[in-house]
Amino acid sequence: MVENIGIVDTRNIISAVTDTYGFDMSDYTFTILKRRLIHAINTFGSHSADDFADKIRRKVIALDDFLFTVSLEVTEFFRDPSLWRELRDKYLSEISRAADSRIWMPNVTSGDELFSLAIVMNEGGLQGKIKIDASCPSQKHVELVKKGGNYDQKKIEVSEANYTRYVGKTQFASYYTLSDNRAIMKPTLLNDVTLDVQTDILNASPSKKYKMVIYRNKLLQFNIPLYDKVIRKLVDSLEIGGYLVIGNMETLEYSEASKKLQIVNANEKIYKKRVD
Amino acid sequence: MNDYKAIMIGGSAGSFQVVSRIIAALPANYPLPILMCLHRLKHIRSGFVEALSIKSNLPIIEPHDKEPLKAGRIYLAPANYHMYIELGNRFSLSTEDVVNHSRPSIDLSFFSASYNFKKKLVGIILSGANKDGALGLKSVTDNGGLTIVQDPKECQVPTMTTASMNATKVDYVFSTKQIIDFLLKLA
Repeated sequence: MVENIGIVDTRNIISAVTDTYGFDMSDYTFTILKRRLIHAINTFGSHSADDFADKIRRKVIALDDFLFTVSLEVTEFFRDPSLWRELRDKYLSEISRAADSRIWMPNVTSGDELFSLAIVMNEGGLQGKIKIDASCPSQKHVELVKKGGNYDQKKIEVSEANYTRYVGKTQFASYYTLSDNRAIMKPTLLNDVTLDVQTDILNASPSKKYKMVIYRNKLLQFNIPLYDKVIRKLVDSLEIGGYLVIGNMETLEYSEASKKLQIVNANEKIYKKRVD
Repeated sequence: MNDYKAIMIGGSAGSFQVVSRIIAALPANYPLPILMCLHRLKHIRSGFVEALSIKSNLPIIEPHDKEPLKAGRIYLAPANYHMYIELGNRFSLSTEDVVNHSRPSIDLSFFSASYNFKKKLVGIILSGANKDGALGLKSVTDNGGLTIVQDPKECQVPTMTTASMNATKVDYVFSTKQIIDFLLKLA
C-alpha cells in the first residue's frame, strides 16, 4: 500500500497522463491531486508512483478508468441544506417561468448534487419545466449515475439529516432502494436530465446559453490560472440574468470574469450575470 | 526561535476553552499566522468564529479556497471542508470524504502544513476525544518541525494528546500556560 508520494512523483504521473492521453492536470491543486493519485495508485494495485505512471504510459490503465478513480467526489446529498431551500423557494421557480429553461451542471462525479437538484425539482413540481444538461468526466461516471449511483450507509445517514434540515416534502428514503446495504437512487429522478461525458470542461461548447450553472466545490481542484479559465467558460455559458452557483467557501475574486457578475446571495454564493 | 513561519493547532472535545485562553493572550501585533483545525459540527457554518473572536486581539478568519496566508491572523478551518496549505502559502479546501470521522481532519491539515513549512512549523495538539491529529503531528516531526502537546493530565479528554505522544516523540508536553508562554516568546 502506497501511503504517500512527493511532488516529483506527482509530476511524473501528470506527465504520463498528458503524454499518453493529452489530458493535462499540471494546473490542478497539488494537495488534492496528490491525495487522489495515492487513492488511484492503491485502487489499481500499483506498488509505487513509478509503477503507476508506467501502467498509464503502457495504457494498462485507460483514461476513462483513471478519471473515474481520480475525480474528486462531493460526498453527501443536500450538502448545505439552506442553499437547496433557497434554490427551491426562489431561483428555480423563477427560471422555470421562462421558455426552454436550462441548467448546466458540469463535472458530475458521484451524482449527489445532481440527484439533490432532481429531488428539489420533483418536489417543486418543476419536472418538465426545466431541462438539465449534466456532464461527467468519464463514461463510467455516466453509467453509474444513470443507474442511480451506489452509495454507502454512512453517506445516506448524513444525507438524510441534510434532507431533514432542507425540510423536504417526504422521507429521503422514498428516493432510493437498498441493495446489500448500498443505496441506489431512483433513476426516474433524472427524466429531465441529459447526461454526457465531458472529460475537459474547457472543451465544452454549449449550443445555447443557460439560465443557471451549478458548479459547487469543483473549482477547489484547480490552481488559479486554470480556475480562471474555467470560470470564464462558466460565465460565458450563462445568459444575461442567469445564475452561477458555487460552493459556500469558494470565491470568484481571483478571476477577471467575476466582473461580469453580481452576487445576489453571499451566504449561498449565488451570482447573477450582469453583462456579456 | 524566530525562524518559524506558522503555528498550527489541532483540537477537539475540551479544546475550546484552551484555544480561547491561548488566543486571548496573543497581542494584536503577533507576527505569525495561527492555523487552527478544530473538530466542529459539519452543518453549523456560522457562530464558531464569532465565539472565538470575543476574546481575541487578532482577526479570526475562516479562509476561502485559494486565499493567501497572511501573518498576524488566526485562521480557522471552515465547517465541512478539509483545510490544506499549498506551496506558495495559499489555502486550499477540499470536500473529500471524512478522515477519522472528521471534516475538517486535523491529520490532513497537519500533513499539508508540515509538507509546506517543513522545519519552520510549530504543531500543537490539544484536548480531544479521538486520535485525529496524531499522525499529523508525526508528520511535523518527520519534516523537522517543532511539536507540542497539551499535558494529558490537564486535558478534559486526553485521547488525542496521548495518541500523538504514542505516534511520535514530541518536543514538549506543556500546560496551557506554558503553551502561551512559548508562543509569546516566538513573537
